[in-house]
Amino acid sequence: MSTGLKCRNCGSNEIEEDSARGDRVCMNCGSVLEDSLIVSEVQFEELGHGAAAIGQFVSAESSGGATNYGYGKFQVGSGTESREVTIKKAKKDITLLCQQLQLSQHCADTAVNFFKLALNRNLTRGRRSTHIYAACVYMTCRTQGTSHLLIDISDVQQICSYELGRTYLKLSHALCINIPSVDPCLYIMRFANRLQLGSKTHEVSMTALRIVQRMKKDCMHSGRRPTGLCGAALLIAARMHDFNRTIVDIVGVVKIHESTLRKRLSEFAETPSSGLTLEEFMTVDLEREQDPPSFKAARKKDRERIKDIGEFELTELQRQIDAHLEKDLEKNTNTMLRKLTKFTEVEATDKGSVASNRIAENEIELEESRQFIEQSNAEVIQHFIDSNTEQKTDATHNMVAANIEGLRPDIEAICRVTQSDLEDVERAKQSEETELYVEDLNDDELDQYVLTEEEALTKMDMWKNLNAEYLQKQKEREELLAKEREEGKPERKKRKPRRKPIGPSTTAGEAIEKMLQEKKISNKINYDILKTLTEGMGAAGEPVASGSDANSKPITLDELQLTPIIVEEGPIKTKRGRIKPAFDLPGPSRKRGRAEASLPTADLTPKQADTAEPAVVLEDHDDAEYDDVDEADDVHVEPEAEPEATLHDMLNKGAVGDDDEYGYGFEEEEY
Amino acid sequence: MQFHFKNADAGEDVATKTVALNPHASLQPQQPSPYVEPKDAHEVKLQNIVATFSVACELDLRSINARTRNSEYTPKRFHGVIMRMHSPRCTALIFRTGKIICTGARNEIEANIGSRKFARILQKLGFPVKFVDYKLQNIVATVDLRFPIRLENLNQVHGQFSSYEPEMFPGLIYRMVKPRIVLLIFVNGKVVFTGAKSRKDIMDCLEAISPILLSFRKT
Repeated sequence: MSTGLKCRNCGSNEIEEDSARGDRVCMNCGSVLEDSLIVSEVQFEELGHGAAAIGQFVSAESSGGATNYGYGKFQVGSGTESREVTIKKAKKDITLLCQQLQLSQHCADTAVNFFKLALNRNLTRGRRSTHIYAACVYMTCRTQGTSHLLIDISDVQQICSYELGRTYLKLSHALCINIPSVDPCLYIMRFANRLQLGSKTHEVSMTALRIVQRMKKDCMHSGRRPTGLCGAALLIAARMHDFNRTIVDIVGVVKIHESTLRKRLSEFAETPSSGLTLEEFMTVDLEREQDPPSFKAARKKDRERIKDIGEFELTELQRQIDAHLEKDLEKNTNTMLRKLTKFTEVEATDKGSVASNRIAENEIELEESRQFIEQSNAEVIQHFIDSNTEQKTDATHNMVAANIEGLRPDIEAICRVTQSDLEDVERAKQSEETELYVEDLNDDELDQYVLTEEEALTKMDMWKNLNAEYLQKQKEREELLAKEREEGKPERKKRKPRRKPIGPSTTAGEAIEKMLQEKKISNKINYDILKTLTEGMGAAGEPVASGSDANSKPITLDELQLTPIIVEEGPIKTKRGRIKPAFDLPGPSRKRGRAEASLPTADLTPKQADTAEPAVVLEDHDDAEYDDVDEADDVHVEPEAEPEATLHDMLNKGAVGDDDEYGYGFEEEEY
Repeated sequence: MQFHFKNADAGEDVATKTVALNPHASLQPQQPSPYVEPKDAHEVKLQNIVATFSVACELDLRSINARTRNSEYTPKRFHGVIMRMHSPRCTALIFRTGKIICTGARNEIEANIGSRKFARILQKLGFPVKFVDYKLQNIVATVDLRFPIRLENLNQVHGQFSSYEPEMFPGLIYRMVKPRIVLLIFVNGKVVFTGAKSRKDIMDCLEAISPILLSFRKT
């Protein structure tokens, strides 16, 4: 049988596979290569009550062990993990949701993967599963760039879209998924299809796309719902192509309010592009970009306010002076410019007249200076063009590297402990005075608020009338409580808050600490001594612990001063700890001996000294990655780090002869 | 860029007083105002201040409601007495345990005076009132930077701190870690700060955010 496999023993590829027995045997040498194979075919056997399938179904995702079909009802004792059930259910629901939204199976798989991530981080707790599913699907839509809106998904799932939005934001932020901003262009096609434009759908949507692009250039899209822009663009585009779509038609499709749509239209009308004719609009691209409409509105308001103030302060005279000055200035610049650059007209009229030579001379002078200016201008421009072409390649290179310019967040500054923090901590320590200081208060004014006895009585009566219903209920509740107490019912217990999952810790000491915080294991253990155990493990353990605490606010001043200025050290140390085995192999023997004897934290200190060199190399390599990589992604970092380490080992092996420390290690291996 | 808090009250007062006192004010050379606004400065306006304190004694809400003019109490809807005041204009939520929340004041001094006035009213009603744990919980401030901002790009670069979903809210929500303040940044350059505990927090925050916003300025 030629299955493309080769025997491990003799290299023959004559391998027989017996699906009934479930094994694979080499026909040449007879060795059994594999037994208890998993088959992908279904066989049936006859039983007393009819036919039944042989064996068990194993899904591609199951992590070993038996999984039963028809989960849900027969969970007990069937060996199915509850998490697996959760994932299965999520998969089913997400697939259903994707089908309702006409998303591909690929999208559904991505959404399920998002769900798994969320599940691993325990983000699903305390949220409705429908919200989580919908949020996962929406995240997929956004990352894949499909034309689905938040409201579509909330419509299908019958949930509040704001609630869904909140869940989605929380998930995407917690999972560090950077999602691109919404692009209104995505939705044009979709809405155009629903407008019943017939064969011209494509043309109209192309026009609408162009309009939306123009709107984006004029910054109309930021802070606005994409549907509003699409609606306005589609309305204009449809009318440009001789369809009589009314605002109401559009509103029915894009589902925004009529006034919003009108506002978008009027905002577009205020941009210079709206002044173009239809042909011009399709061919001309205006260079200038407009400020966002809301910005313009704010400035307009500002100007009006200033004008109001101005009328108060400025006298008529001042305004006149201003006006005069402005006029003068305009005249000046006008004449100068006109004389220097647009000379020809004046020349033509003056040439014929028999004016004095002086004027003619003057004109010649002006003419010459004009020519000179033009020439030198042209030279400078030419010069610029020449030098620019050389630099342009460089400039474009830079643009590709950082196509979005702008400052990045300064993580270091965020983590630094400043003077004000120390002051805050100090202040918190001080106790404040508790007596009410009333010297500066006006008692007469406050007396107004207090009613007389009679007034109080009437107000109480009124209040009792108004709240009669509540009072009645309160009375009933009290009676019920009293009755229960008499019957000796135990008081209702409050639900215990759920324990937070212990995250992975970097050192054993830290793990112990976390566990101790979690709960006391036994009251027979002296916890103080246990604490001193971890403290004695060396100075290296301490900064790690305080580094991980830095997220929470430091409580005492001493603690605060202990916290490292840059907290990033924490994760780097983690990495060091993880890579350690790679260094350990060729490492000196005495250190390995000690590592076996004590807890891992203990050998961190001596190890640091001699791993410092390679560690620095690694830091440079993954520092940037480590900022936003969370625990879930650690798996990917690990294999990346290892080749570096082994490379370093190999280099060391080459230089074994003169390095006595490593030589020592190899002696140990021989022995 | 420079920022400063509004201190209009003081300046205006002086100006109006001189005018009122001197009938020949128009003939005299203009007096320089006591505070000259920097030209490039942006005014940070405090909008709301929330303070909490405790009077350290149990209160009978029904009697408080009955004996004061400026209060309302509907236990069906809300478990505390709502008491309002004209000057300074602020509102207090008074709870049975003696904890009081004072909101609506426009600056720290108003919040402090308002809080003590509420405590004084309770004292007048005969409760053994103290004044414990006075603390500013939240300061809301606004500033207009007067330049448009590219929210999309800002969201792309600062994704770990910001969220911008125009489908839900027109502004970009920026959660600054230090000082711990949430900013709402709008495309027209207006910024709202919430969650600050002091004026200094707001100034620190502005100092940190303004170069960032300037780099995302729409030109």
